[in-house]
Amino acid sequence: MKDFDEIYQRLEAIKAPGLLSADRPREGDPEDKTDKGRAGEAFVLIEPAAAKEFLIAVRDDAELAFDILADLTATDPDTEDENFWLNLHLLSLGHGHRLAIKAMVPKADPVVPSMVDAHMAAHFHERECAEMFGITFEGNPDPRNILLPDDWEGHPLRKDYEFPKEYHGISCE
Amino acid sequence: MTEINTPPEPPEAKTIEIPETARTLPSGEREFMLDVSTSDLEVNMGPQHPATHGVMRILIRTDGEVVTGGQVHLGYLHRCAEKIGENVEWLQYLPYTDRYDYLSAMNNNLGYSLAVEAVMGVEIPRRATLLRTICAELNRIGSHLIAFGTYGLDIGAFTPFFYCFREREWMMALFEKICGARLTYSYIRIGGVFNDAPVGWLKEVERFCDVFEEKWQEYYDLLVVNHIFVQRTAKIGVITPEMAVDYGLTGPMLRGSGIDFDLRRDMPYMAYGEISKAGVYDVPLGRGEKGELGDCWDRVYVRVQEMMESIKIIRWCLGCIEDGPVIGDIPKVLKVPPGEAYVGIENPRGELGHYVASDGGKVAKRCRVRGPSFCNVAVLEKLLPGTFLADSVAIIGSTDVVIGETDR
Repeated sequence: MKDFDEIYQRLEAIKAPGLLSADRPREGDPEDKTDKGRAGEAFVLIEPAAAKEFLIAVRDDAELAFDILADLTATDPDTEDENFWLNLHLLSLGHGHRLAIKAMVPKADPVVPSMVDAHMAAHFHERECAEMFGITFEGNPDPRNILLPDDWEGHPLRKDYEFPKEYHGISCE
Repeated sequence: MTEINTPPEPPEAKTIEIPETARTLPSGEREFMLDVSTSDLEVNMGPQHPATHGVMRILIRTDGEVVTGGQVHLGYLHRCAEKIGENVEWLQYLPYTDRYDYLSAMNNNLGYSLAVEAVMGVEIPRRATLLRTICAELNRIGSHLIAFGTYGLDIGAFTPFFYCFREREWMMALFEKICGARLTYSYIRIGGVFNDAPVGWLKEVERFCDVFEEKWQEYYDLLVVNHIFVQRTAKIGVITPEMAVDYGLTGPMLRGSGIDFDLRRDMPYMAYGEISKAGVYDVPLGRGEKGELGDCWDRVYVRVQEMMESIKIIRWCLGCIEDGPVIGDIPKVLKVPPGEAYVGIENPRGELGHYVASDGGKVAKRCRVRGPSFCNVAVLEKLLPGTFLADSVAIIGSTDVVIGETDR
């Protein structure tokens, strides 16, 4: 079991593809009222285009061995924000450690290569993420809607989503 | 799998010629074997089908009795839990967590509470931690009872189902005494638990453990080692360890394939680190005892054994629980500092993950739920092709899918 700093050092040592930086929780600045710091857990930032190669690299490295893709999802932080966050959560069965990964996907062109080749577990998650946020996963073997009807308009988990007035004659108000 | 939607060509009509090898019966009739050509037929299993345990539709393509393709259609029970999470206050979201895996609502409450607490960094009183553990493990027993009872029902064993509901009824009565609800508890709150256990409750839990240990042997003898049951489940729906890891399976589905991993032991949260160190319980694994490693029987075996391990954990908690406060100092309107955390806990069905992100306001920026059933059901599309139609029911049942959770 490694802690986050050891994992990050190892990621730098193996030159994991697309690795950008680490984001650790920090205390707020007592002088500056607007800076409240950040609580929670540490994560690494990666390039979305290299996500698949990153997952394969950390899966096949014996010291990291992140063999389970626990979760793949996205976050729309704000209507003003230019990016979606792509959130990945990995789990290592052999070592019992986790890694949280974040990638910035531009809202103007939300296209990410599919990660199904690295983990088959990505398949259903990608389909859900695609319909909820409108992110296209290029290379997903079956990119239909999974939870929403095929003819649903809009992407519900976007912050600028407008609730429909009606659906097939059923009033939603 | 997209080609499943195109209807197959209808077979051409043929006139049957009687071959010379045909046998003449005493009545004068001719008897001979006919080579029947079959074509693919698509069958909708669900959305209303007893074997799908809810409203899930599985589009199955069959050639005679053999399944040649399967496609899982979800979303009939989609209730926008994640969107609701972004629109209600932190504490108000708690009752919604009950509704995704309604068979293990305590565990869902726990997963969400732990995720919010991970961002807030609050300390939980000792008594609350132990009460949480007792409730989570009791609920695990209740959930596995349903999984095991309905699985028997799926493949034709009717009696075990009633045996299971007998003990589950007592478990629900216990929960009713502690929180007033029978199915959707909302008992485990952010910062602790809602209220202390009533007088005599812990004694009754102990009595439940005593009785359950006796009854458990009945289930084992009645169904698990029953010859007919073994015939129906052994060597069926084999998930190899590599496949289990690739599909991201967790919980009994993973351990049924022989992979020794339990979040409670290997990535401990709450008091589980202490409990594992004390060697209180074991992690049961599938060993391919009756057939092949990772078959349906192994998964059922793991679930049934886990019920007994839960009893051991409850007994340990009952042994060391002391009086004290049950909830930390939590304000009525919760303010969560900016930050984000992902917390995965061991639910009866696998890893229940909550990813919460806060920007410091009264509501969440993101409230993501990673339901174990959603990930486990994905493996069906790989398992179903090549099996018999009758076995497909056994395979679907062995994934122990709860539709409230796949659709959320």
